[in-house]
Amino acid sequence: MTVMDAPPVAAGRFARASFAGSASEYFGIWIVNVLLTILTLGIYSAWAKVRRKRYFYGNTFILDRAFEYHARGSQILIGRLIVIGALIVINVLGIIHPLFTLVTWLAIVIGLPWLIKRSLRFNARVTSYRNVRFDFVGSTGGAFVAVTLGGMVAFLSLGILAPLASRWLWRYILNNLRYGDRAFGTDPRLGALYRVWLLPALLFALGAVAVGTIIAAAIAMERNPGGPGDGFTVFAVLLPYLIFLALGLAGLIYRIGVRNVVLSAALLDRRHELLSDAPRLRYAWIAISNFIVTVLTFGLMRPWAAVRMARFMNEHTGIRINGDPGEVISQIEASGSAVSAEYVDMEGFDFGF
Amino acid sequence: MASDESIAAGEWNRANSSRSIPACLRRKDDGLAVVADGVVLIAATRDDIEFSPRVGSIPRRLTFPDGSVFETRDNDGVDAWLRLHEGAPSGFIHGLEAFRLRLAGFALAVILLAALIYRFAVPALVEVAVLVTPPFVPDMIGSGVLASLDRTVLSPTHLSGDEQAAISKGFERLAAVSEGGQGAYKLEFRDGGPIGPNAFALPDGSLVLTDDLVRLADGDQEMILGVLGHEIGHVERKHSLRQVYRVAGVAALILLVAGDVGSGVQDMLTQGGAIIALSYSRAAEAEADRRSVEIMRDAGYDPTALARFFTRLEAATGHRNETGMLSTHPGTPQRRQEVIDYANALGKRAPAR
Repeated sequence: MTVMDAPPVAAGRFARASFAGSASEYFGIWIVNVLLTILTLGIYSAWAKVRRKRYFYGNTFILDRAFEYHARGSQILIGRLIVIGALIVINVLGIIHPLFTLVTWLAIVIGLPWLIKRSLRFNARVTSYRNVRFDFVGSTGGAFVAVTLGGMVAFLSLGILAPLASRWLWRYILNNLRYGDRAFGTDPRLGALYRVWLLPALLFALGAVAVGTIIAAAIAMERNPGGPGDGFTVFAVLLPYLIFLALGLAGLIYRIGVRNVVLSAALLDRRHELLSDAPRLRYAWIAISNFIVTVLTFGLMRPWAAVRMARFMNEHTGIRINGDPGEVISQIEASGSAVSAEYVDMEGFDFGF
Repeated sequence: MASDESIAAGEWNRANSSRSIPACLRRKDDGLAVVADGVVLIAATRDDIEFSPRVGSIPRRLTFPDGSVFETRDNDGVDAWLRLHEGAPSGFIHGLEAFRLRLAGFALAVILLAALIYRFAVPALVEVAVLVTPPFVPDMIGSGVLASLDRTVLSPTHLSGDEQAAISKGFERLAAVSEGGQGAYKLEFRDGGPIGPNAFALPDGSLVLTDDLVRLADGDQEMILGVLGHEIGHVERKHSLRQVYRVAGVAALILLVAGDVGSGVQDMLTQGGAIIALSYSRAAEAEADRRSVEIMRDAGYDPTALARFFTRLEAATGHRNETGMLSTHPGTPQRRQEVIDYANALGKRAPAR
C-alpha cells in the first residue's frame, strides 16, 4: 500500500495549477443558478453560490488534487438573512429617529474590521485541499491596520503610499492563513512592490493629465461660443468613460502586479515556495475583453469569461515543494466541537481583495 | 462475499489528514468498501456514507462514518452505483445543468423574466423604498453631492448681488406656490464651468443655477424662473431619489441574480451607476415640464416661459438640439411644443388666479 503526501514531482520544479472546467459545462450551472434564483425570489442564490464556488474550487487542480468548497447553502442564507434583517432594523430605527441610523452606521464603520476578519475566516474554513481545511487566525486589530488604516494611507497619499498599504493588507491575509497545522508567510519587499506600482501610477498620471486637458478645453470652448463645439461635446460625453478606462486599467495592472510580488514571496510551512507570474498586460487584456464581451452579450457570455479568467490565473500560479511535505492535519475539526457553531459565520460579506 | 467489481478509482484520506492512499471503491454487501492492494480500508452501508452532490465533473467526495474520505474523479461510476441503490436519479439540479438544447430555453426564460422584473418589480420596489425613506436621507445625499460637485466642476458664482437678489425674489414666489412651500427649497448660484447653461435639483431641495444659464436668458428673468419651476417639479416628485433607487436596485438585482459578474461589471454597476443616476428619464422630464407650467401660472408668471428657454437654447446650441447624453431627454423642439400645448389646455380649463 503506497502512502502519499504529494504526488512525485521533479525536484526543484514549480508545479502549476490548472483549471479543468469548461465554458459549456459552467454555462449550464450558471443559467440554472440564475433561473432558480429568479423563480425562488432570490432565496436560491445562497445555494447557487455554493454550486458556483464548488465548480471553480473543484476544478482548480494543483499537484493532482483539487480544492473543495464546503459551505452549505443554509449557512450562506442565514448569514444573508442576518445582514438583511440588520439593514431593516437600522432603517426602521431611522424612521423613528434619524440619530439611530447615524449611530448604527458609525458602529458598522467601526465594526468593519471585525466583519472582514470573520469573512476571511469563514472563507478559509470552508476551503479544503487534500482533505485538510484552511484556517484564518488574524485579529480584528490586524484587520483595522491592514484595511482601514492602509486604505486611508493609500487614499490620503493619492496612491503614492499604496504599495505600503498593499504590503500591510497582504501580510495580514497571508501571514494569518493556515493550511491545517502549517502556516503561510510572506514578506514582500517594498522595492518590489514599488516596481509594479510604477506603470499603473504612470497610467494614472497620464489619465489625470488627459482629463484635465479635456476639461480645460471644454471651459475654453464655453468662453468663446462659435468655436469648434461639437468635438468637445463628444469629448465631454466620453469623459466619464475615459476616466473609467484609465482608472480601471491602472487598477488591474496594479492588482495583478501586487499579486505576483506577494505570492512569489510567500512560503508555506517556511519552505514550500509559492509562485505567481501572470503577465500584467495580458491579464489586463483578458479582464477588459471579458468585461466588454459580458456587457455586449447582456451577461450570457459571463460563464465563458469566468472560465477564461480562472484558467489564466491558475496556469500562472504554482508551488514548489521543497523536501517532504509530511502529513498535514486539519486543525478545525481536530480542535473540538465548539467550532461547528462558529461555522455559521458572517457570510454575505465578500470583500474583493 | 463482496463482489470484486470496481466502481471507481481514487484516493482515500483518513479523517483530517492530508496523507492519501490510492485506492478503489468496490461493492460490499449492501454498501461500499474502499480497497487498496486487496485490503479493505473502510466499509459502510449506503445510508452511512455522505456523497457530495455532483457539480459539473469536479471530484466526488464520499465521507465515511469515521470521517475518512474517498475522493474520485469518476463521477459516472459513482452515479451509476447510486442509481442502482437509490432508485431515484441522483442530483436533480445536476441533470438540469447538462449542456443540452434545453439550456437555450432556460436562457430565453431568464431574459423574459429579467425584462418582466425590470418593467414591473423594480418600479414597485422603488416606490416602496421612496415611501420608507427617512427625510434626512435626501438631505445627506443632497449636501454630499453638492460638496463633491463644488470640489470638482463648480466654482463660486460671478453674478452680482443685485442679479442674485432679483432671481431669488422671483424664486421665492414660485416656491411659495409649490407643494413643499418656501422652506423646502434653497437656490444656489454657481459658475458651472464645463457643464454650461444648466440648472439641476438635488433630492434635499437644493437647486443649482449656473451663471451661463443666467447669461443665456439675457435679462429675461421669467425664462430663468420657468427653468427653476421645472427643477422644483423634479424635487416635488422626488425624481432624483427615485432614480438613485432605481439604479441601485437594478445593480443589486443583477449582483444577486447573476452571483458573480466579474470585477469589471461589478465596478461598473456600483460606481458607473452613480453617473447614470444623475440623468432623469424622459417621463420625469415631461412631468417636470408640466409642473413648471402649473407653478409659473399659480405664481402669476407666464406659464410658457419654459418654452421661451427651449427656443433660446436651440438658437444658442444650433443643431445640437437633441440634448441628453443617452437621449434620455426628448428633443427640445418637442418639449417646447408640449409646454405650449399644456399651458393652453390649462388656460382653457380654468383661468389663472
